[in-house]
Amino acid sequence: MKKGAEADIYLTTWNGRKSILKIRKRKEYRNEILDNRIRTLRTIREAKMISEVKSFGVTAPLVYFVDQNKFEIYLQFVSGELVRDLSNKVIIKTCEKIGKIIGILHKNGIMHGDVTTSNFILTSDKLIILDFGLAQRTEKVEDHAIDLRLFKEVLNSAHVAIVNSAWSSFLKGYGKIVGSSRKEKVISQVLNIEKRGRYANVI
Amino acid sequence: MFCLGIESTAHTFSCAIIEKRGKSGRILSDVRKIYRPPEGEGIHPREASRHHAENSPQVLSECLEKADVKITELDLVSYAAGPGLGPCLRIGAVVARSLSSYYDIPVYPVNHALGHIELGKMLTGAKDPLVLLVSGGHTMILAFLGKRWRVFGETLDITLGQLLDQIGRHAGFASPCGTKIEELASKSSNYEPLPYVVKGNDVSFSGLFSATKRIIPKGLETACFSLQETAFSMIGEAVERALSFTGKKEFLVVGGVAANKRLSEILQSICKRHDCKFFVSPKEYSGDCGSQISWVGLLESSKKAGAKLENTFVRQSWRLDTVEILY
Repeated sequence: MKKGAEADIYLTTWNGRKSILKIRKRKEYRNEILDNRIRTLRTIREAKMISEVKSFGVTAPLVYFVDQNKFEIYLQFVSGELVRDLSNKVIIKTCEKIGKIIGILHKNGIMHGDVTTSNFILTSDKLIILDFGLAQRTEKVEDHAIDLRLFKEVLNSAHVAIVNSAWSSFLKGYGKIVGSSRKEKVISQVLNIEKRGRYANVI
Repeated sequence: MFCLGIESTAHTFSCAIIEKRGKSGRILSDVRKIYRPPEGEGIHPREASRHHAENSPQVLSECLEKADVKITELDLVSYAAGPGLGPCLRIGAVVARSLSSYYDIPVYPVNHALGHIELGKMLTGAKDPLVLLVSGGHTMILAFLGKRWRVFGETLDITLGQLLDQIGRHAGFASPCGTKIEELASKSSNYEPLPYVVKGNDVSFSGLFSATKRIIPKGLETACFSLQETAFSMIGEAVERALSFTGKKEFLVVGGVAANKRLSEILQSICKRHDCKFFVSPKEYSGDCGSQISWVGLLESSKKAGAKLENTFVRQSWRLDTVEILY
């Protein structure tokens, strides 16, 4: 169905149910030891994290089956549209919900690690978060800020026309969950990370 | 139209003349002098700028001579105004200002990173590529959208060039050390595990740097091999993410580290998987050179007038994504 950056996605069935098969294929260009380490880690992590986030009410696709040796995960098929491909107006509105979901993850000590508009699917009634391959268990402000910075970077590059309103919508949702003092802390860390960037501050 | 481009952001002082006819450009000359620090040391800005000042007259006259162009025939002068080392940048700017005011030639301050990209596009013929800029000063994945180069991913701390240079210096080589590391790496196939840090579309090399230093006692060749494999795979993954997100059908790699064969090999394999055309700037023009500055000067002159002399500053910190592209 799709060749992603990290894995190939196939539409299939699992025990009679429509399902997504996600295979982290061997990357020829990557050293084999390194490649196996990365694929094993991410496959296990993704399956574990998805089950975990469900326990505090974040909607992610169900995990049907994991084959660690083949680096395969069978996931529930979800029909809807990627937030990336929605109209600007809807994206702005949805960003508040994205903010809330990320807020819930952070509040429960999980960073997603790949917060982009192509990792959220809007169905008729729900917003679903995908791709936990880079997720991590962490309470650190720095790590949470990295999630926010990435999302800001995505808005800045792929959704230029609406970056300001989408970003403030995201922060509104995020703040509602984590509370304003934590929100400010994380935002100021985002600025710190940006300052570390190359040529970011004028000397 | 003839444009003299002057590059002096870091270790290279270079002058080049490009002739532009319609939309195509031809490099008439590109002369370089590279400052070499003592082994095991990095660029000392003062020493580098002294090197540039001492060599600038010779480089300039050799450049004019090779191109067979007289100063009075120049239509414009452009110089790298940033980002880079202040003392070095100022040398290029002084040369540009002097020529401009004495001979009354329009002058254009140019962003150095933009030069890498535009020259790469001109030389390879790429039209609308996703760009990977990898050098001592930059590690960025960019795509053009709405009058600006937008950053899709970048390093959160040191650049790929810095990583290779610092490891090289630690092992006692003189900067730039990329070639030396590549050579050593090709002699080993023994992989020692190193930290692999991809954060979304971004990469972070600082932890990898410290960890590589620790494995040097296991053999320099092994360390170089493991370093290259890990760092290049990280870049590769970030590029794959940006390709699959943007859906671009062309990919261009520019900057000093673009000369590395192993990196090219990895990127080529990624492009094949994503059905994407692969372009790499020719080795002799992937590193810092006057041509990149000259070409951007020519492009900018098609849309705007030269800068007033009082506006010909240098900017040590000048991010590419803040430059508005008019042409």
